[in-house]
Amino acid sequence: MFNLTRQERQVILFLLSVALFGTGVKLFSRMLPAKACVFEDITKINLNSADKNLLMAVPGIQDKIAQRIIEFRQEHSGFSSIEELRQIKGITNARLEKIKNYFSLR
Amino acid sequence: MKHPLALFTLFFCLGIISAGWLAVILLPLYFLAASLIIFCTKIINKKPAFNIFLLGLFFLSGLILARVDTQIPRSHISNFIDTYGRQVYTVKGFIKSQPRYNSGQAVFICRIQAVKGSVFSRACCGDIMVRLKSNKSLLYGSAVLLRGGLSRPYKNYLSSQGIYLMMSVKNEADFIILNKNYGFWLQKFAFFLKEHIESIFSKAVHPLCAAILEAMILGEKRNIPPLIINSMMRTGTVHILVVSGFNVGIVAFLINLMLKALRVPRRVRFAAAIFLLLIYCLATGGSNPVVRATVMAIVFLLAPIFKREPDIANSLSIAAFFILSLNPRQLFDIGFQLSFLSVIFIVYLYPKIKSFCRIDSLKIGFLKYFAEAMMVSLAAWLGTMGLVAYYFKIFSPIAVLANIFIVPLATLITLCGFSLVAANFILHPLLSFFSATTEFTVALLLKTNALLANLPGAYFYL
Repeated sequence: MFNLTRQERQVILFLLSVALFGTGVKLFSRMLPAKACVFEDITKINLNSADKNLLMAVPGIQDKIAQRIIEFRQEHSGFSSIEELRQIKGITNARLEKIKNYFSLR
Repeated sequence: MKHPLALFTLFFCLGIISAGWLAVILLPLYFLAASLIIFCTKIINKKPAFNIFLLGLFFLSGLILARVDTQIPRSHISNFIDTYGRQVYTVKGFIKSQPRYNSGQAVFICRIQAVKGSVFSRACCGDIMVRLKSNKSLLYGSAVLLRGGLSRPYKNYLSSQGIYLMMSVKNEADFIILNKNYGFWLQKFAFFLKEHIESIFSKAVHPLCAAILEAMILGEKRNIPPLIINSMMRTGTVHILVVSGFNVGIVAFLINLMLKALRVPRRVRFAAAIFLLLIYCLATGGSNPVVRATVMAIVFLLAPIFKREPDIANSLSIAAFFILSLNPRQLFDIGFQLSFLSVIFIVYLYPKIKSFCRIDSLKIGFLKYFAEAMMVSLAAWLGTMGLVAYYFKIFSPIAVLANIFIVPLATLITLCGFSLVAANFILHPLLSFFSATTEFTVALLLKTNALLANLPGAYFYL
């Protein structure tokens, strides 16, 4: 009936599967209660548990500042708000504005 | 010999490496190379001797090329400026790269044609990196006049790209776009396509998902959050965030498929595939893995036309030779080393591991696929772990397991990304369904990666 090559059949099957799976995902997401996007918690660093190397992955946080964050966390039993980063030597208001979106408190 | 090009490239690389150690003057090297060429023509029919001297000639070529590459031209802009004083310079040139915008600042590479200081003005050459405080829309190839201070870059990789100076332009008044364009038309078209595809991704999916797609399909990593990069480095899967040979393969496959459906003759199909692969290579910024894969694909496409059997070792050697001929310093680039080493180990070590573990005797299809994926991952990991430990100070035993899960997901995301682009053009009503699948797959990949990175003993910092 259709004169399709094996490759063409593979591509059509793949595209149909992706589209059909997409309908399923859409339907499922409509049934879920409204909540924060799944991507948000993947991209933020937990300020209360991140190790030094992870803290240093944030642009603008070098070795010394990362160490001070860890020391502050140990002394104060963790951060209760991201604004507390201001108390750390080397983190100015301008720097905090740049880095605060990288962190979360979970 | 089965793979002569591999040996030629090896000696060429040895020549480049020795250029760093041997303090030799160029002129005698040229004399030596010329004598070798003459001698080789005399003994062209005496095979063993000719081959040995030919290898010597490749070694010398590498040595000469690397020495020439380190010579900064006399007319280079860095020879005329003083970076210690606070002098302001005016330069004329054109935008050589695709401008990038970040928090009110545009960054681009400018090819310089003339420079003017307080007491001199002269024609010159060279590339500089420009940081411009402006949101003005800039185009690749536009002729510009810039005014600002020049400084030496602190990043080594910039000098490895031949960029020895940076200019900071703080006012829009110090920046004039001239009514001329020096851009190469194919590059302009490639950047236009890239921007168009970027806009499709940003409209169709979540920004993070778009960032991942841009990295995997267009080689643009700038929007990926550092946490994601860090997490993937820990699991040894960060390689999926670059355009790989697989993407080049998909492009070649799609072009071939479309033209085949239109009953286009084979030779025309191959020629069109080569042309579009070149555009894809230019659009993705011509990074080492893409150039390697593009050259290999072109060699494979050309082989039947020249009635030659396509050979992976020879095509890999041609790719290495091509990249190093353009810029010998790439031999010391991490991307170059990782890209070629992983392919070499997959090509040579994987079949040996496979036969050693007798994977072909497995009867269940799924188990066989799983074992094969693990062996490919193991081969690539064994090949690159030394370099990764040396450069990134991290050792990730989880990498072998992580790649088994992450690579198929990344493959699916790449295919979904290409489907999104196709859907945008021909199946627009279905775009939202393709977007939903893509977002789901990206979320699954990131969650799986985070889970694997948090396993005990997953990685060690050295």
